[in-house]
Amino acid sequence: MLEYVFAGIALGSIYAIAASGIVVTYVSSGVLNFAFGSMAYFLARFYYYLNSEHGWSSIPALVVSVFVAGPALGAFLYLLLFRHLRLSSPLIRIVSTIGVSVALPPAALMLFGNETITTAPGLAHQPIRTYKIFGASANLDQIIAVGCVLAVVVLGTLLLQFTDVGLKVRAMVDTEAMTSLSGVSPAKISICVWMVTTALAGLAGVLAAPSSGLTPGGMTALMASGFAAVVAARLRSLPAAVGVAMGMGILTDVSQKYLPVNSSLTNAILLSIPVFVMGAFLLAYVAVSGQINEASSTGGALDNAIRPMGGSDAATASSNAAVVANRSGWSPYMLGPVVVIGIIALLPLLLSGYWLTLLAGGFAFAVLFLSYTMVVGEGGMIWLCQASFAGIGALATAQLATNHGVNPLLAVLIGGLIATPVGVIIGLLTIRLGNLYVALVTLTFGLLAETLIFTRDVFYQDGLGVLVARPSYLLDDRSFAYFALAVFVVLALVVVNLRRSTTGLALAAVRYSEAGARTVGLSILGMKLLVAAISTFIAAIGGGLLALNYQSAMPMSYATFAGLVWLAVFVTIGLRSVTAAVLAGISFTLLPGVFQTYLSATWGNVPTILFGLGAVMVALHPDGQVAMNARQLQGFVVKVAGRRGRHHGARPPGSPPAAKEILTSPDVTGLVETSR
Amino acid sequence: MTAKPAETPSPGARLECENVTVRFGGVIALDSVSLSVPPSTIVGLVGPNGAGKSTLFSVLSGLRRPNSGRVRFEGADITRMSAQARARRGLARTFQHPEMFTGLTAREHIMLSHRMSTRRSRIWTDILTARGFRPADHDEVERVDQLLEALNLTEISNQPVAGLPLGMTRLVELARALASSPKVLLLDEPSSGLDAQETEQVMRVFERAVELSGVSLLLVEHDVAMVLRLCSYVHVLDFGVEIGAGTPEEIRNNDAVRAAYLGDETAAGVASIEPQGAGS
Repeated sequence: MLEYVFAGIALGSIYAIAASGIVVTYVSSGVLNFAFGSMAYFLARFYYYLNSEHGWSSIPALVVSVFVAGPALGAFLYLLLFRHLRLSSPLIRIVSTIGVSVALPPAALMLFGNETITTAPGLAHQPIRTYKIFGASANLDQIIAVGCVLAVVVLGTLLLQFTDVGLKVRAMVDTEAMTSLSGVSPAKISICVWMVTTALAGLAGVLAAPSSGLTPGGMTALMASGFAAVVAARLRSLPAAVGVAMGMGILTDVSQKYLPVNSSLTNAILLSIPVFVMGAFLLAYVAVSGQINEASSTGGALDNAIRPMGGSDAATASSNAAVVANRSGWSPYMLGPVVVIGIIALLPLLLSGYWLTLLAGGFAFAVLFLSYTMVVGEGGMIWLCQASFAGIGALATAQLATNHGVNPLLAVLIGGLIATPVGVIIGLLTIRLGNLYVALVTLTFGLLAETLIFTRDVFYQDGLGVLVARPSYLLDDRSFAYFALAVFVVLALVVVNLRRSTTGLALAAVRYSEAGARTVGLSILGMKLLVAAISTFIAAIGGGLLALNYQSAMPMSYATFAGLVWLAVFVTIGLRSVTAAVLAGISFTLLPGVFQTYLSATWGNVPTILFGLGAVMVALHPDGQVAMNARQLQGFVVKVAGRRGRHHGARPPGSPPAAKEILTSPDVTGLVETSR
Repeated sequence: MTAKPAETPSPGARLECENVTVRFGGVIALDSVSLSVPPSTIVGLVGPNGAGKSTLFSVLSGLRRPNSGRVRFEGADITRMSAQARARRGLARTFQHPEMFTGLTAREHIMLSHRMSTRRSRIWTDILTARGFRPADHDEVERVDQLLEALNLTEISNQPVAGLPLGMTRLVELARALASSPKVLLLDEPSSGLDAQETEQVMRVFERAVELSGVSLLLVEHDVAMVLRLCSYVHVLDFGVEIGAGTPEEIRNNDAVRAAYLGDETAAGVASIEPQGAGS
C-alpha cells in the first residue's frame, strides 16, 4: 500500500508543478494557459533530443532545455502574443493560447525530429535505482519529482514573500492597474512570470514523460490534471491547487491497487480521475454559491472597470464602429458568400483522384466547422468538445449502418439526434459557469469521452474503427463531395436564417450582456440550450459525414487535441461567417495535401503551425481573416458611397452627429404613441 | 405631465414591494423596505452611495432574490418570478452602467425589444418560415423609426452602440426599454455622465413618456434637483433603511432626510429650487 502512496505522491508532485505554473500565470496575467501542455511537450521533447538522442547527461540537458530554453520560450511567447492579451476578452485569450498549443508540437517535430517515441526517460540515470523507505520501495524518478515540488514550493515562497520582485508580483496579483499606477511596470513583472512558469511547464513535462508518454496527447492529459487542481483552487489559491494536485496523484495510484490489472477500463478510469475531481469541485461550488464566474474573482475595482466584458464582440465592436448592414431581408452583402460557395461548387468538376478525395473530406469538415460558427460565433460559448460530438456522430453512424443495417444517411441523421441531448446536458451543466470554466469543463468532457468511450473495443477495433460503407450512389468521391456540399449549404442556410432573424438578435443580445438580455425578456437558459442543441447536432452530422468520407469511424480521429486544431483552423479563417467555415474545411484538407505532395516530409507539419499561428493572430484580428477582409471591402464600399453622398450634401454614413448635437436638438416631440 | 397622485401612493399600484430585506453575508443591504409605484406617475428613490438603491432595483427587476419580503406587479406576487418573465409582463429597466448589446445597432436594440413584447415562440417559426431572409414587417419598421426619431437616434441607428458616447448610449438604452411598451420603467441614474443640457433633454423625454403612454417610472438618481422636480413621490434610503418618504415638499422639509442624507448645505441648495420645475 505504501508503495502506491509513494507513487501517488510523486505523480501528485508532477501535477502540483503543473498546477503551480497554471495558477501563477492566471493570477498574474489573467491568462489561463491552454498552451501549458504543448509548452511542456516542446521542452520535454528538447530534453529528450539532448539527453537520449545526443547523449547529454541529464543535468546539463535539464539545465539547457528547461532552465535556459524554457524561460527563452516564455519570453518569446510573451513578446509575440501574451502581452497583447492583457485587456483581451476571455474568448480571445483562450483561442490565442490554443493557437500556441496547436503550433508548438509540430514545431517541435520539425526542430527535433519526427520519430515516434515509445518510452522517454526521466531525470534519473538508467537503470533507475530504487530505495526502501519505511519498508516500501520508491524509485529515484519518484524521489526527484517530490524533491522538485519541494524546491518549487520553498523557492517560490521565499521569492514571493521576502524579495522585492515577490512584493511586486503580489501587488500585481491583487490589482494590476493600481500596481501600474504605482510606477511598477506590469510588463517586466509579466515577462518574468511567463519565463518562470514556462520553465515549470518544461520541468513538469520532463518529469511526466516517463509515465504520461512524450506525446502532445500525454501532455494535454497532464495539463488537464493541472486544470482540475486549478479549478478546485478556484483559479487563484496556489496552496489549494498544490494540495489538491497531491491528493489527486495519491488517489490515482491508490485506486490502481483496487482496480483490475491490464484492463483498458482501468487505464481509462485512472486517466479520468482528474476529470471527476474537477466535476466534483465544480458541483460543490455551484451548490454553495449558485454560480462561478472567473471575472468576479480576479483583480481590483479599477481592473474590473477597465476589463472587457462578454465575448470577443465587445472588443471587436468597439474597434469597428462601422455602419452595419440591415440584418433583415436580403442584402447585397449576401452575394459574397453565394459567389464564393458557387465557385467552390465548381471544384469537384475540376479536381480528380487524390485531390477530389481531399476536397470531399474538406466539405465534410466544413459541416463540422459550422458547429463552431454556431457555438463560438453566434453563442459566444467557448466549447472545446466539438470533436467529441463529431466522434459520437461518427461512431453512432458506423454502429447503426454496419452493425444494425440502417441506411448510412439515416444513420448519420440518427447519430446527430443521439449526440444532441449530450450537448444539451453539457449546456445545462455549464449554464451557471463563467466562460473560462465552460472551456475547462468542455475540454475535460472531451478528454473523458476520449478515454472512457472512444477506447471501448466495440468502437476502437485496434485503432482501425468500425468500417462504414457509403450508399451505392455516393461511392465515387465526386458524388460524395456534392452530397456533403449540399448538406453544408442546407445547414448554412439554417444558421444564416437564424442569425438574421429575431433568434439571431436574441443570441447576440445574450452574448453581449446577459443582464440586459434578461431585462428585455430573453431567457438565457433557452438561448444557450438552443445554441448547444443546434451546434451539437451539426457537429455530429459533420462527424457522421467524415466517417462516410473515410468509410471508417476511427475514434482517435475525434481526439480532443484534434478538436483544438480544428478550432484553430476555424478561428484563423473566421468566427462567424459560413463562408469561412467552408474555406476552413477545404483549407484543412487541401493545404496539408499541397505540402505533402510538393514539399519534403519535414514540411508536412507547416500547415498545422500556420493554423496555430492563425489562431494566435486572433488576438489582433478577433473576427478572423475572412471577416476582416469582408469588412475592409464593406468599408471601402461604404466609403465610396459616402463620398457620393457628400457630393449630394448628405452626412456620410458612419459619421455620427455629436452627442450634444443630438441631445440639444429640438424637443423630443415624436414620442407620440410609440411607447405604448 | 399627468395629474399628481395623492400624498401617498394609490392603492392600485402597478409595482410595489413590501418589507424587502436583502443580506450579503452579515451585511444588511436592504432592511424591510416598502414602496409602491402608482400608474402614470414618476416615483423617486434617492440615497447616498451604498444606500441600497441599486440592490432594490435588482430585486424589483428580478435580477436578485430578496431574503424576505414581497414584490407585486399589478397585484400579482412576482417575488419568485425571473427577470425575463417580469420583462414580458411589462417591467423594463435601464442600468447605472448601461447594459448594451455592444455589437448590435441602435435599430436592432429597439427591434429586438419590440419583438420580445409583441411576438412569442419565434425559434421554430424563424427556422421554418425563413424569417431571416424576409424583410421586417412594415408596422415594425414604422414603429422603430418613430422611436428612433423621437430620441433623435435616426442618424446613428445603423451603427454598433459600442462606438457611441455615453449620452447617446443612455438614449439607446431608454429607447430599448420604451420599445417593449412597458407598464413600469425602472431608471437607474439616467443622468449619470450627462451634462446639464443633456439632463434637461432626458427629463423632457421622461415627462412626455408618462404623459403620452401612461408608463410609470421609478427613478433612482443622485441629482436631487432632478428627482424633486420630476417625481410625485420620493423615497429616501440610507444604509438599506427607508429614512423618509413623501412628496418633494415633504422631503425638503424632512429633518431626518436633511440631517442624514442631504446635509445642511445641500438642503439649502434644494430649498432654492423653485417649484416651477416640478410641473413643467
